[in-house]
Amino acid sequence: MSFVAAQILNGIATGMLYALMGLGLSLITGILNIPNFAHGALFAVGAYLLATVAVAIGNFWIALLVAPLGVALLGLAIEYVGIRRLYAAGHDYQLLFTFGLALIISESIILIWGPIGSSYLPPEVLRGGADLGFTMYPKYRLFVMLAAGLLVFATWLFLEKTRYGAIMRAGIENKEMVSLLGIDIKMLFTVAFALGAYLAGIAGALIAPIRGLNPSMGVDMLGIAFVVVALGGLGNLLGAIAAGLIIGVAQALVAAYWTEASTVVIYAVMAVVLLVRPQGLFGIR
Amino acid sequence: MSKLSRRDVLKFGAGAAAGLGFPSIVRAQSKEIVILGLWDQTGAFADVGPINDRGMKMALEERGMQILGRPIKYITRDGATQAGTSTRRTEEAVDGDGAKFVIGPWSSGVALAVSEVAKRKKVVHLFSGGTEDISGARCHRYSFQWAASPYTAAKTVVDSFMKANPKAKRWHLLVADYAFGWSVEKYVKEVGKTHGIEFVGADRHPLGEREFSNYVQKAAANKPDAVAMINFGGDAVAGAREIYNFGLTPKVPLIMTWSSGVEELVQLSPEIRQNIWVGSNFYYTADTPGAKEFVKNYTAKFGNPPGYAPSAAYSMTRLLLAGFDKAKSAEVQDVIRALEGIEVNDIVGRMRMDAATHQNIRPYFFMRCKSKDAMKHATDFADIIATGDTPLPKEYGACKDIGGF
Repeated sequence: MSFVAAQILNGIATGMLYALMGLGLSLITGILNIPNFAHGALFAVGAYLLATVAVAIGNFWIALLVAPLGVALLGLAIEYVGIRRLYAAGHDYQLLFTFGLALIISESIILIWGPIGSSYLPPEVLRGGADLGFTMYPKYRLFVMLAAGLLVFATWLFLEKTRYGAIMRAGIENKEMVSLLGIDIKMLFTVAFALGAYLAGIAGALIAPIRGLNPSMGVDMLGIAFVVVALGGLGNLLGAIAAGLIIGVAQALVAAYWTEASTVVIYAVMAVVLLVRPQGLFGIR
Repeated sequence: MSKLSRRDVLKFGAGAAAGLGFPSIVRAQSKEIVILGLWDQTGAFADVGPINDRGMKMALEERGMQILGRPIKYITRDGATQAGTSTRRTEEAVDGDGAKFVIGPWSSGVALAVSEVAKRKKVVHLFSGGTEDISGARCHRYSFQWAASPYTAAKTVVDSFMKANPKAKRWHLLVADYAFGWSVEKYVKEVGKTHGIEFVGADRHPLGEREFSNYVQKAAANKPDAVAMINFGGDAVAGAREIYNFGLTPKVPLIMTWSSGVEELVQLSPEIRQNIWVGSNFYYTADTPGAKEFVKNYTAKFGNPPGYAPSAAYSMTRLLLAGFDKAKSAEVQDVIRALEGIEVNDIVGRMRMDAATHQNIRPYFFMRCKSKDAMKHATDFADIIATGDTPLPKEYGACKDIGGF
């Protein structure tokens, strides 16, 4: 029993990170109507920036603040310089742009940090295991679970309880109407992309001490992020959170009893849900 | 009006026929020997292909890109770590570029498919990897296995580890779920029996797995004396890192049974490498004249010592060229006959290509990682503590008849 509980705990920890990734992608996809293929690459930049800044200044906590902000800035620049010019050009061009961008960012990572991966250890205080009674669990993973949970909650709070959050949600529902109400829709798009990039960046930064650094780490995560968005429902933030947790826990439980299927279960869960609810768990379109 | 005469038309027609209709005759006149390096630039082993290529190029350049007084044309194709792409590109290289000698790819599962192409197209194929089928159940005259037999590897690793840790009798295995993992797992269990090892768990994971926490938690619950991983590259690095994060290593020793050596170890920090034991087909401190020269040249050129991947490509290419020398011919059948039973002293030490199975009989290396304080420089990862070259016992051999041409 304690083994199952431990696996569920582990699933929630991983699921929180998936939710964070899915939340950012859902925001961008929902508001900008663009499948952001560069989301995985932004996640990787977050991880690399964290390790670089942490090593340079010798402080993990400051790096954890700075790295995702750097990714948000990058996201802001991408929207302002690139995507903004393509809103009128149609879907295909936007799709190609983010796809190309993903390749450029991945290759840039190789150029800057090299093709071979590396490890970055958690800060000293979070190394080793904590005895939870039913299992020993890495302290850093507990921290990640807590941090990701807080971030997800903060994002939800921002979107649900603030005026700008309400505008963003309205933007997901009906961009034209928001625009007609005199709201700067261009600014809304830029903020949404930067916020989505920030969430990808902080997910990458948090995961760096767990999974290490590798130029292809973004590709591994991108597929899961898209599954989370599809499963939760396009543009639905609560859905992204639920989907992230469902996938994380499903993966952990399947790995406990049928390890060979631990990757395929991600897609199997999505396929089953989409068969029953094509709009996703919480989606309306 | 056209000034073309009947004679001109005939001349153009003959020229066109020569160029279009008889390309094979035109090609046959070329003295070039075309060798294909099938190295992945994309897919799961995208990080390995470029360094395979380095090793192969070094071996060819040593000979001035010539053999038997004829120029060597080295071509590479990206197999994308996929059987479909790899077989298609191999066929294109054989049919379109006249390649009669193929080295690669890096994945065992993919190489088995390429081996079938080699058999059908009647071209020489050299490969290094963990599947036993190339020199076992699916052996044939055209494919050769450079890596040690999975049995040799398992025997070296299990015997040497148990000699150093005689009380570590409860093992948990983490196995990559494809041809290579299955082969090595089988023999680790076989050899383990002779030491009275109890395998308290053996989980298989998909190739390219990055989320190892679930497997590691399961391993930890089994309270093993040792964890042995039979996986490779990114999988092995991700696994080792997670095993450390969960606090198993350094308390519980971790064995990387079939490791790329340098390429994997450099991705792990010294803290993670504590109490890791590593089996590999090559380690750069191997005490052989061939290794010393190769490591010196490789390090001078690329700034870091070579791991298993460039070394295997380098040594396979040298083996093929030795086959040309022995055959004094570049005809496929002559080279195959020359390679069968060939004995050379190369970077890993003495090697003999078994004529009956096309399995290389050669040493396998076993290392123990050094602590941070004991490292003399940044790439001083481990000490070789044992080598072993016990060949696969006849009763396990699945290659009953290597067949004809």
